[in-house]
Formats: sequence, structure tokens, C-alpha cells
Amino acid sequence: MSPEARYVNARVRRNEDARLLTGRARFVDDVQLPGLLHVAFVRSEHAHGRLIKVDGAAARRRPGVVAVYTFDDLGEYGRPAPVLVPPPPISGLVFHPRTHRPLASGKVRYVGEPIAMIVAESRYLAEDAVRDVIVDVDPLDAVVDLEAALTAGAARVHDDLESNAAAHVVQRKGDYAAARDRADVIVARRFTYDRGAAAALENRCVLAQWDRQAEELTIWDTTQAPIPIRNGLASRLGLSESQVRVVAPFVGGGFGPKIMMFYPEELLVPWASIRLARPIKWTEDRQENFFATTQERGQLHDAEMALTRDGRILGIRDTFLFDTGAYDPYGLTIPINTQCTLLGPYDVPNYSSEFTAVFTNKTIVTPVRGAGRQHGVFVSERLLDLAARELGIDRVEIRKRNLLGPDRFPHNHEIMFQDSAPLVYDSGDYLPALEQAAATIGYAELVRQQAQRRSGTRRVGVGIACYVEGTGIGPYEGARVTVELSGKVRVATGVGTQGQGHYTVFAQVVADVLGVSVEDVQVITGDTREFQWGTGTFASRGAAVAGSACHAAAMSVREKIVALAASVLGAEPDRLEVAGGRVSVRGAADRTISLAQLAARANPLRGAVRPGTEPGLESTAYFGPDRGSTASGVHAMIVEVDVETAMVEVKRYVVVHDCGRIINPLLVEGQIHGGVAHGLGNAFYEQLVYDEQGQLLNASFMDYLLPTATDVPPIETAHRETPSPFNPIGLKGVGEAGCIPTGAAFAQAVEDALNIEILDIPLSPDRLFRLIQQAADR
Amino acid sequence: MILSGTFTFNGPRQKVWDLLQDPGVLAKALPGTERLTMSGPDRYEGVMKVSIGPMTAAKFDVTVTLADKQPPERFTLQIDGKGGVGFARGSAAVTLQEQGDGGTAMDYTSDVQIGGRIASVGQRLIESVSRMMMRQALEALDRELRARIDADASGS
Repeated sequence: MSPEARYVNARVRRNEDARLLTGRARFVDDVQLPGLLHVAFVRSEHAHGRLIKVDGAAARRRPGVVAVYTFDDLGEYGRPAPVLVPPPPISGLVFHPRTHRPLASGKVRYVGEPIAMIVAESRYLAEDAVRDVIVDVDPLDAVVDLEAALTAGAARVHDDLESNAAAHVVQRKGDYAAARDRADVIVARRFTYDRGAAAALENRCVLAQWDRQAEELTIWDTTQAPIPIRNGLASRLGLSESQVRVVAPFVGGGFGPKIMMFYPEELLVPWASIRLARPIKWTEDRQENFFATTQERGQLHDAEMALTRDGRILGIRDTFLFDTGAYDPYGLTIPINTQCTLLGPYDVPNYSSEFTAVFTNKTIVTPVRGAGRQHGVFVSERLLDLAARELGIDRVEIRKRNLLGPDRFPHNHEIMFQDSAPLVYDSGDYLPALEQAAATIGYAELVRQQAQRRSGTRRVGVGIACYVEGTGIGPYEGARVTVELSGKVRVATGVGTQGQGHYTVFAQVVADVLGVSVEDVQVITGDTREFQWGTGTFASRGAAVAGSACHAAAMSVREKIVALAASVLGAEPDRLEVAGGRVSVRGAADRTISLAQLAARANPLRGAVRPGTEPGLESTAYFGPDRGSTASGVHAMIVEVDVETAMVEVKRYVVVHDCGRIINPLLVEGQIHGGVAHGLGNAFYEQLVYDEQGQLLNASFMDYLLPTATDVPPIETAHRETPSPFNPIGLKGVGEAGCIPTGAAFAQAVEDALNIEILDIPLSPDRLFRLIQQAADR
Repeated sequence: MILSGTFTFNGPRQKVWDLLQDPGVLAKALPGTERLTMSGPDRYEGVMKVSIGPMTAAKFDVTVTLADKQPPERFTLQIDGKGGVGFARGSAAVTLQEQGDGGTAMDYTSDVQIGGRIASVGQRLIESVSRMMMRQALEALDRELRARIDADASGS
């Protein structure tokens, strides 16, 4: 008989919250060790310049300073970091990998690039010694603007390249030029989407301890990918993987920048710990986080859409520039996400997309929640709005006319996704979600009231935008499930947790399969000693991929339980019931055995474990989907704009989303709420402002505005479930969904309120004020 | 950052010119100057302390070089400041014109690049602090000019 779904799809409270809310959860900075040394970094103040001299002699003489390292001290260890994600096999693709070194050599290429590392008895002493290091830099013109970066006379971020182009990729489907010739209308615009920070609550932190006697290195690291970090560091340090243990305990928010990056600090702290045979810790401060932790966004699109008179999309052409920052260790994941996600839930028969990734003298760019998807959605949703206006078709109606119908799955978009597999949507049902979102927000009524809404000083607008999200990509994750002698269950998996609720959702999946209480399932993540195969937490894949591995391992343990119980109870397996932490023979209440007793019998002290069986009630299983599953949804919002101050208040926010089968609606809503807050930040509050010399001008929370609790409206969420055929539970990811269409819906809502055109994100009160003034002047 | 303006000194051009070439006077007039000495022909070195918002009393090692001198009419300054919280480098062009009323009008235009923590945290305040410092310096110089003129008058 198959397991009963008791916890999956239920609003189970989070197993981890008691520890998190009472301050008992361990974060890296909580780890204290005897003899611990502390680190501060000397960082570049110049965005671009030649390093003439780095002299740490005076710093070395300061009492309490244990070591000062510059590039020259690193030897072979100073070589560039690896390229983390090789580009997918797209024909004609050009990619110039230029990765960072642990410490700058020859040139500095962004403000905040580490130049020297100081190790001292306390952080105070280390910080004091930063000022003792003499750094002479001969400044060069900074490469900041994306278009100017590609002009002939531009300074070059990497001298050995012919230009600042880091990559060039063209992907095509159908024949856009022919579609354009047939079109009744073409809408074309330039769109920008500027940089933002991930701004996780917990900054990065690395602590390394070299045990000279055991010859073992333990690294506590705020990483989203402990296993790849372990493997990479072991190889770089000349150790075997078994000599290195990476622990990512509780991590206070990841959002992408904590992913398998091999940050300079992550490379240097373990290296220095071995050299000095002392434990060493570095904790990033908030100021450093603005420069030294990777950022995202920064794209410039020239896009057009060709349509028929009745609003059907014939094709889309998009040419864009992508700011990759000073180095490109993460390959092309973001712009390829943009390229693919631009197609959205729509039937786009012809598509031509071309991008150039551009090196600039700014902080390195790697995925941040959404990872380029929101840029694509912004472009296609904005083009649809502009087309609707030009054709006199309602905004919701033009979307309905173009949605892929439920009979069109699996749908092959004929281009390549970031996971090196073709972009194929597994399943979806888009029209009911759009209708539900429109009905919930009261769209039809709001359209009728448009004239009233647009009068007075406080004007009201409605926005509604659709999206898809490629989630749950491979290659694989694994899990080990063990029934312990207590009868409780332990689950170990390789993906780290950054607050998503892994300790709950994986427990739910396993509890249902093994018929135990969810509180009796203990989940361990992010410790390579506990589980050492896997990739990490990214691309909204934890539940879909690691969750499926947990399911497979639990199913295998269940088979062992049933086989052993059948022999102990003398009953046919199909008459057994696994529930309430026991196995019982159906219809015979006295013939029953607890999982604890079975676990003891599976690991006997006498007798023999029969050939072909294994001791214990334990199994390890892996899950690797051929390709990702495609989640989808619709966001709708009502905004009120004060035309005098240009402040925007979000009055209502509705999310109708489909992430396949839901393990825990409570957690899904939490993910969406956080994502919407992130998305609203990117739409209206957050922007990293660089001057023409590459200086970041707002590197503090005084000037970089995050949306606060008072800025984020209550979010009304509705779930729809179109199971994915790509995994046994039918899961799709949801971690990034909340922030993907937010900018597009926000722009549309503000546009609707003010009858102006919005082509750039983030807006801000002052940008919006200028747009209002320009409209008034016309 | 571009900072420009006009200031009228209450005294003749040659006296203003002499004043502006005197490191002792400049050290007194420029707010936060701890030390300013001549380290070569037309070259001054010193230490200045500046407070900008959350960064209080940040020390800068400053080098100022005078160039393109056309006494008593115009000169340019190359400014290079380095400190624990960042750097400032740039140039300033100064011209002096006699006014009909015995005063001297000074036009100045400076283009200074600011980097490091001072740029990223103090950005909102840099311009207003710079303007304030410039105004205080010019007023102090004008007071010194008046004092010199008065001294000359009583001494003759």
C-alpha cells in the first residue's frame, strides 16, 4: 500500500522556528574558538587603476598583528578563481572568462576589491592595521556606462581583451524578420533595469580551523553551496575532500550572492588558517557588503514586438547589454535567464534575442533572487502594455489572447536554458490564473472607473502582469534517511538552508512516507560531514530536487521497514499498515511493532545480517531531473500615487501562483511575501548608484533604501496546482516567484494612474516626479 | 564634484594674490588644517582634518601644487588628498579681477574626484560640507586681508 498524505499540502508550522526565535540557532559568527584570530581587508578605493605598490611592512610591525598578506605572498594560491558555471552549448556563443584572484595583482578593477589581508589578535587591531598598509594606485578611467564601455576609445577593464565585451550570445526561434514584415503593428522601446543589492540580514562570514594533529580543516561558511565549496577548496589547498569539512549552519538569508562563489575571503581565510595553524574568522560588515558581496541587475534593452491588429504576438526581438561587473565567474546564467524568461507564458512563434555581457569597474554580478528573470518579464510585459494601448485592446484581454493553452504542454521554446537543456515548459494552466487575479483585484470595475481614478492629487492605478519561472533544475541532489533506535527519523541532505524552511518541508515529505509525526523527523543540512554529494541551494530548486531525493530515500527505507516487519509479524507485506510510528497488521490490533523496535532488530548484536540485505533502516537516494520545471503566476496590484510628492502607496497586492503541488502552503506564502517585498524594493526603493568614476555613492542603509514593514502591503495569495511531471511529487520551485513580475506590474499600475510611460526600473519618488513634470510640460 | 563660485575680497588684487601664496595664511584660513608647509617651489604639503556626516575628524594627507601662475591674475591648483576614509584629487582654477570699488573678485572652479568610504557614506553631505568649508576659508582670508591692510595703514 502507498503512503498516506497527512503532512504534504498541510499548513505545518516550521520545525526550525523554536530555535530561530529563541536565539538558539547557530550562525557562523556565533562560533567562538580558543585562540581565534580576526581578519580585516585592505580594499581598493579606486574603481580602476594600476597597483604601483602595496607595502605591508608598517602593518606587520603593529603589536597584535599576526600576519599581513599581499598578492606576492600567495604564490601559486594567487591564481584566478574558477569559472563556476560554464556557458551552455549555444552555437556561436562567445564567452571570455576573467575571474578574480584572491588578492588584486597589477590592477584594481572595482571599489572594494581586496588588496591585502590582515590577521590580528582582534578585529579592532586588524582594522587599525588596515591604515598602516601603503597602497599606491595610478588611477585609470573607470568603465561605468554600458554603452560607453563598448565604444572604441573606452578604457579596458581587462587589458588582454580587445574590448569590454565579456560575452556575446544570439538565440533565435522561427524567423523574426519575416514575422515583422507581416505585422500590423510594431512597438519598440528602450528599457533599463538598474543594479540592486541582495541585502541579506546576515552578512557573509568565514571561519576556518586547521587541526594539525588530525590534518583536518573545518570551515564554517555562510554559503548556499557547502559541498562545491568543500570540493573546490580541498583541491585548491592540495587536500583530499575528506580532510575538509564545510559547515553552513543557519544562514540569515542567501538570495543568490552566497552561492558557490569562491569569494576572495572564502579562499584566503582557510589558507591563512593552515599557514598560521590558528583558527581565523572574518565577518563582513555592512559597508563591506555593499562592495564585496556580489550584486545584480544592470541591463539595457532595445526591444520590439510585432503583432497583428487583433493583438496576437507574431514575434519579439530584443538586443540587450548586461553589466557583469569587473569579473564574470558565474558565467552567463543571468542574461540567459533573461533571454528565456522574456517569452513568459505566451505563444511567441518568432523570437530573436541577442545580448552582450559587458565588463565594468563595478562589483561582480552574480544571480540575486530572480536572477535576470525579472528583466525579461519587465520587457515583454511592458511591450504588451504598450501594444495594448496602441491597438486599443484591454491589457488583460491582450494577455489572454496570447497565453499558451493547457493543451500546449510540454511546450518547446526551441532555445537553450541556463541549465544547458532546451527551454521546455513541463506543464501549466495560465488562463484561469489570470482570470482569478483579475477578478480578485476587481480589474473590470477599476477599468470602468479609470476617469475618476485619474483625477485629483492622489491617483489610483491598477497593474497586472504574468510570469513564468524556470525552477528546480538539475543536476541532482541526494538525501539519507535513517530510522534511529529511538524510532525517530533523521534526514541528511546536501543543500544548505538560508531560512526557507527546509527542516520542515523535507520532514513533511519523509513523515508522510514513513508514517511518523513531523516533529519526529530531524533534518540536517549544510554539513559536508553529514552528506557530501550535491550542488546547492539556487534556482528555486531545494524542494523540487532535494525534496524529491528525500522522498526517494524515504520510500526505500519504507520498503526495508515493510520487509522486516513482514518477517517479524509473519504477515504478507500488503496487509501491513505503516502509521503512527508503528507497523501493524491490518485487522489484527495485537500484531504490531514500533519503528524503534524494528530499528533495533535491523541492527542486531547477534545473529547475522542476511546476504543481500543491509543493517539498519537507512537509505540514501538521489534525484536528478532531466530539466527544470516551470512555475507560473500572475501579480496584480492597486497603487495610489500622490502627484505632488510622487510617493506611491501600494494599496492592494494579489498573487495567484502555481508552483505545482504544494508541500506547505504556509511556507509558500512566506516565500511569496518575502519575494514581493524584494520586488517592490527593486521597483521603487533600491538602486545602487555609481558615479562616473565607479564610486558607489549610497553604500549604507541611510542612503540605500530597503522597503520596510510599512511599505509592504498585506499580500493576498491564491494557490493553483498544476503538478510537474518531472518529479514524483509534482513540485515546482517558488523561492523567486514573488519578485519576478513585481517591477512590471508596478510600472503598469503607476502608468495607469498617471497616464504616462514608464520604461525604467527602479523608479523612485524623484525619478517619478521628473516623469510627472515632463508629462505636464508636454 | 564640481564646485564653483565667486567671492569678493575687500582689498586690491596684488594683496589678495600675495595672501593666496602664503602657506602660513592658508594654514590658518582653511578649516581643519593641522599643518601646511612649503615642500618645494609652488608645492605645499600638510594634514587636514575633515568631518563629513558619520565620519568625524577624518585625517587627510594633502599635497597642493600651484601651476600656470600668471601673477596677479590667475593660477591653478592640483589637489591630492589621501586618508583613512578615502581620497580626493582634482584641480581648481582661480582668477582674480579688480573691481572698480577697490575690491577684488575671485572666480573659482574646482573639479574634485572623491573616492572610498567618504564617497560611499558621506555622499549626501560632501557638497554641502565642501561649500561650507570654502565659505569659511574665504571669509577667514578676507579677515586676514583686512587685518593686513589695516596693519599697513597704521604702520605707514
